[in-house]
Amino acid sequence: MKLDAKDLRAAALYALALAGLALASTNVGSSALKASELLQGLGAMFGLAEPLERNVQAIAELRLWRAICTIGVGAALALSGGLIQGMFRNALASPSLIGVTGGASLGAAFAILIVGGYAPRLVLENAAGFDAVLIPLFSFLGALGTTALVAMIASARGRTSVTTLLLVGIAVNMCVAGVFAAIQFLSLEDWEVSKAILAWTFGTLDDRKGLHCVTVLTALALSVAAIPFVARELDLLKAGEADAQALGVDVARTKRIALVAAALSASAAVAVAGQIGFVGLVVPHLVRLCGAGSYRKLLWHVVPAGALFLLGADLLQRLLLGEGALQPGVMMSLVGGPFFLFLLVRNRREVSTW
Amino acid sequence: MVNQLVARDLSFEYPGPQRALDGVSLELARGELVSLVGPNGSGKSTLLRCLAGLAEPLAGTVELDGTPLSAWKPRERALRIAVVPQFLPSLYDVTVEDFVLGGRYARIDRWSGPRAEDRAALDKALVACDALECVGRAMSELSGGQRQRVVVARAVAQEAPVLLVDEPTTSLDPDHQVAVFELLARLACDGRIVLVVTHELNLAAQFSASMAVLSQGKLVARGPVDAIMRPEVLVPVYGERLHFGRLDDGRPFVVPRSTLLRRRS
Repeated sequence: MKLDAKDLRAAALYALALAGLALASTNVGSSALKASELLQGLGAMFGLAEPLERNVQAIAELRLWRAICTIGVGAALALSGGLIQGMFRNALASPSLIGVTGGASLGAAFAILIVGGYAPRLVLENAAGFDAVLIPLFSFLGALGTTALVAMIASARGRTSVTTLLLVGIAVNMCVAGVFAAIQFLSLEDWEVSKAILAWTFGTLDDRKGLHCVTVLTALALSVAAIPFVARELDLLKAGEADAQALGVDVARTKRIALVAAALSASAAVAVAGQIGFVGLVVPHLVRLCGAGSYRKLLWHVVPAGALFLLGADLLQRLLLGEGALQPGVMMSLVGGPFFLFLLVRNRREVSTW
Repeated sequence: MVNQLVARDLSFEYPGPQRALDGVSLELARGELVSLVGPNGSGKSTLLRCLAGLAEPLAGTVELDGTPLSAWKPRERALRIAVVPQFLPSLYDVTVEDFVLGGRYARIDRWSGPRAEDRAALDKALVACDALECVGRAMSELSGGQRQRVVVARAVAQEAPVLLVDEPTTSLDPDHQVAVFELLARLACDGRIVLVVTHELNLAAQFSASMAVLSQGKLVARGPVDAIMRPEVLVPVYGERLHFGRLDDGRPFVVPRSTLLRRRS
């Protein structure tokens, strides 16, 4: 946990790369903004500078919130993935296993049913105002609630076995998906509502506001604070729970902290940006490929790496596709499947059933 | 410094009709290498897990110098008892240093990381276990013999006065088997309590101060090597297909022998 010169250098590099990408990302759009304008706009948002001319300031704010939100969501999803992979002792695990994604979808669907006909406007066009808080709030509660349910059923006898957790996760995900499908079917006639539900599942980073950013960054901060309490423990868990226990690891406590931190950050991320899969799976892998195999390193590296990954991927596709850019959730699912297959084939030797 | 690890009337049950442990009492003293032998499924590993405080017995107590193991938190227990496990996954992304430093987990502060004394213990353990050549490699790249020495080195680095070892010679060639037992005997001589679970009766006989025999969850014999390595003790436990003899120096040995072949010759 002690920082040396190498860690500080890495942190500086990450900060530089993030600032650069964020700046580039805020410059992509129908109207060009100067870097100085963006900086002034950023300052104005926090009362540190004179606001720009009204329209320009609005555009600058919109793009800056989007960039900040993207950073938070990418980092939160990646950290959640790292924690889940450590806890499940499986590099192919991701936050959706414990019900985060399914629960968030269900929560969002309920919220959309409540706001009814206004929903499409909220989801697709305008994310401001109290009604707009409802959908993130419900999806956050849905995600956390589902994960809590999974954890509770899996640890009925005081202990949480990882295999049981996995199986209960699959079962609860199926139940949640069933209810979600029923809602989708019943709202089929109501074009506005069903369109909103469908659109939510694609995930979006557009029109994010301060509240979204605060939500995801707060959850991220809390989860990051958990890293020192689980990193060494997750490394020792690689050799199995009994072995870690013999070395003095409080295995139950480690799993509990890792699970809560993972659920919290992933829930906040999907609550503010909808379903964006794949980040939680792939970023820990990329970090491993770069040589950070131990969780003591990996869990710290995935945070900025996840932010860079989502920011970069989003920037890339907006540059390539311009106006026709896909929502990030769609883009990630398009590349996610093939990459997962690639990982499986690459790790064939470690998959005993292959 | 500790003197005695004492188990009294231990019982343990897995789901199923048979008891894994049935009223086992065992005393282990400092400075002695004790071998625990018995057929497959006799409850050896379960007893080891109970003695390590890793499994809660259904009934009975395990006490280290009068303190029940259950009184300690995991970290406190790990300062006193080290376990060498029988099986570990391949650990392809764990380096040998990181693995052995894992033995220091209970001593390393969460915020300041490994200190000089931890590095010193790491080096000392690697030297003691003849595993210096493995440094810089991943656990998955080691040969069976190297791997076993590194796993023992981790337990040595733990610097616990009690060392419980589960079948350390599985998949090792004869030379490495002897090397492991020599190492364990030396560790016992240094003043530790050492219990080794093994199927290698002859190595156990050669290196142990005393032996304990477990059969169907019951401790059926406990005593000096000469009292255990006898047909009256081992045949009821392992069956008829054993041949007993003595080495040049008078030490007893036993080898498996087929009754079919004996009839043919």
